[in-house]
Amino acid sequence: METSIKITLKNQVLLGLLALSVSGCSDGDSSFAYSQRTQSLIKEAQNGSEGGPGVKQTLDTRFGNPQQLKAWMKLPVEWGGSAASVESFAASDTEARIKFVAQEGVTLPAVASSVQFVTGEGAGQSIALTAWDEKTGEAVLAGVPDKTPVSGDLCVIDGGSTLKSGRVLYMRHCSHCHGAAGDGNGPTAQYMIPKPRDYRHGVFKFTSTNDQSKVSRNDLLRVLKYGIPGTYMPSFLLMKEDELHAIVEYVRFLSMRGEYERRLVNELASDYSETAVSDRLASEKASDIVEELQSFLKDEFPATAETLGDDLAEIWTSADTEDAKILPTVARVEDSAESRQRGRELYLSKTLNCADCHGIDGAGNGPQTVAFEKNPVTNELYPEAGLHDVWDNPNQPRNLQRGIFRGGRRPIDLFCRIHAGIKGSRMPSFKNTPHEDIWHIVNYLLSLQFESDPGTIAAKSVAPSETGE
Amino acid sequence: MKKFWALFFWFWPLVAILVCAVAPSRGWWFPSAPLSTLGHQIDGLFYLILIIVTVTFVGTQAALGYALWKGATKGSTQKAWFSHGSHKLEIIWTIVPAFILVFISLTQLDVLAEIRVISKFPDSVRNAPVAEVMARQFEWRIRYPKPGQQLMNVPQPGDLYFVNEVHVPAAIPTMINLRTQDVQHAFFVPRLRVKQDAVPGLIIPVWFEIEKAGEYELLCAELCGWGHYKMKARIIADSPKGVSEYLTRLEQEQNEDGVAEVDASKEQ
Repeated sequence: METSIKITLKNQVLLGLLALSVSGCSDGDSSFAYSQRTQSLIKEAQNGSEGGPGVKQTLDTRFGNPQQLKAWMKLPVEWGGSAASVESFAASDTEARIKFVAQEGVTLPAVASSVQFVTGEGAGQSIALTAWDEKTGEAVLAGVPDKTPVSGDLCVIDGGSTLKSGRVLYMRHCSHCHGAAGDGNGPTAQYMIPKPRDYRHGVFKFTSTNDQSKVSRNDLLRVLKYGIPGTYMPSFLLMKEDELHAIVEYVRFLSMRGEYERRLVNELASDYSETAVSDRLASEKASDIVEELQSFLKDEFPATAETLGDDLAEIWTSADTEDAKILPTVARVEDSAESRQRGRELYLSKTLNCADCHGIDGAGNGPQTVAFEKNPVTNELYPEAGLHDVWDNPNQPRNLQRGIFRGGRRPIDLFCRIHAGIKGSRMPSFKNTPHEDIWHIVNYLLSLQFESDPGTIAAKSVAPSETGE
Repeated sequence: MKKFWALFFWFWPLVAILVCAVAPSRGWWFPSAPLSTLGHQIDGLFYLILIIVTVTFVGTQAALGYALWKGATKGSTQKAWFSHGSHKLEIIWTIVPAFILVFISLTQLDVLAEIRVISKFPDSVRNAPVAEVMARQFEWRIRYPKPGQQLMNVPQPGDLYFVNEVHVPAAIPTMINLRTQDVQHAFFVPRLRVKQDAVPGLIIPVWFEIEKAGEYELLCAELCGWGHYKMKARIIADSPKGVSEYLTRLEQEQNEDGVAEVDASKEQ
């Protein structure tokens, strides 16, 4: 259903956006908070000028705010709604009647409250429906439109319905931890270790996709359904499939919004952040910098903003393709003492060097956990020892003896963790390791929980220096 | 006006009698009929207490109305009689409720023992929990033994895990081990009348016999934190065969190595 909308609408350059208002919300005006990085830009870059919009406006026109979401049709989000075309239209002074035909492969919804025109003279206008008959496709419009739709005009009935219901569910069940903008900073977030995910990097840890790919819809769905043991993320197994689906789409929408914001800021941060400008003022005049910024915002930034959107659409689309998926080429090696032994050798080997972080007995206490690490962005040492993730939170390697596997305990889950690494964390990808070897390690990891004295056995049976060369 | 209050207080016992007589047959007290064997006994106790409370309520209201009526119809010249300090009355209103309370506590002992005392559990379940239900903020994590094995208190290789859904056999007694990973929670299945606190550090066996196969709501009944309302799961009662089929499926899923998908995609 949604696919055909996308196909239908993709050609409509005129209508790049659909406005999706969420009515019936009385929880005040909420807004998507801008990131710290956006706020670190100089005011002119944040707000733009008459010549061209700044970061905030560029973002708002494409994503809207929680009450008035916008669907930037270029992005691979299943917005929801049914694609249809106008068959006939008749209007008197007071009433306008319209008849729709569903696009091929689309069924008309049982209940419909609005229609948005995509082509024709009335393209872009959104009109409420006061009466709707799903069988005949006949509807009464709430008002007589200024521009008369003609037969053949394309439209979307209840456009964005999935995203809107996702928003409602997200605000109810998720936002208190993950925040209204998906910044992982909701009211309950401060009580949690580990911190709730901040979606705005567009990075999710536990994926079945390869190391360079985004998270797939199915990965997000699994996390929603089964929760993340060892963290505060609970299971939402009892929600209906369509509710889960709507939340997944909304989370993807928020992720793309956040990631888009980051990318926009990246374009401006090196020259127009508060700190960059204060450095530049040593040799340049403030008015020159602002003038330069304004001409950049006017001439180049709009095109860049579109290209960034295209890039984003491409990487998020490819995450759901078969190519992105990790597929072991050999079946799991049968779990045996020899296989575990081999796994342990690999675990301790110099090439893989798992023990550097996870410790010689898998207790998550390797030498890296007591070393001070440099923040790769600021190049300063973190205040506390140990490893950190891209969200700058302390992120210690997993204690593998506890039998708690956050990304799932199936062999394939562990295989994916090793193959693709854990995105956003210091767990690197071992995609060049032969699949058979990965299976040996998986067998070893799954057995660690049941070893009475994993460290001693490891030291006795294999000396680290003998292996992995 | 004085008589009005006597009639007012006589009116409510009549309402109470009517409600108590009609309520059980209309299911006003409970979300459904009890659907476990213990549930019938627990409901029986509830109705016994309901009768005692109704009789007490009706009796005291009738007495109150009588006193008011007498006061309203007596002439204004008569002196009031103060009962304060009457030993006889005090002894009566101490002994009668005490007798009732002792009666209730003795009557419920058998049912309580069946619910809580392990030696009174049905023989078939006494040492054979089908699953461990681990409550945690804010979900229920389930651990089944590997099919054919016994459930141990510490995880064993081959144990099967799931979350927020417990499959148990219907029509035969079943026992689960209830634990909590963090704070106190309570295992509450309203339609089965099962409610048991999960206490940190304890492994509490809970048994029930679900009469009909079907889906039952499992809730946390102990305010356990900000996400208490999220702690909802389901119990699925199925034939023993259905349960073992489910566990086989779960075992397959849990040993998923993703390679079957490769074969499938190659064939396409």
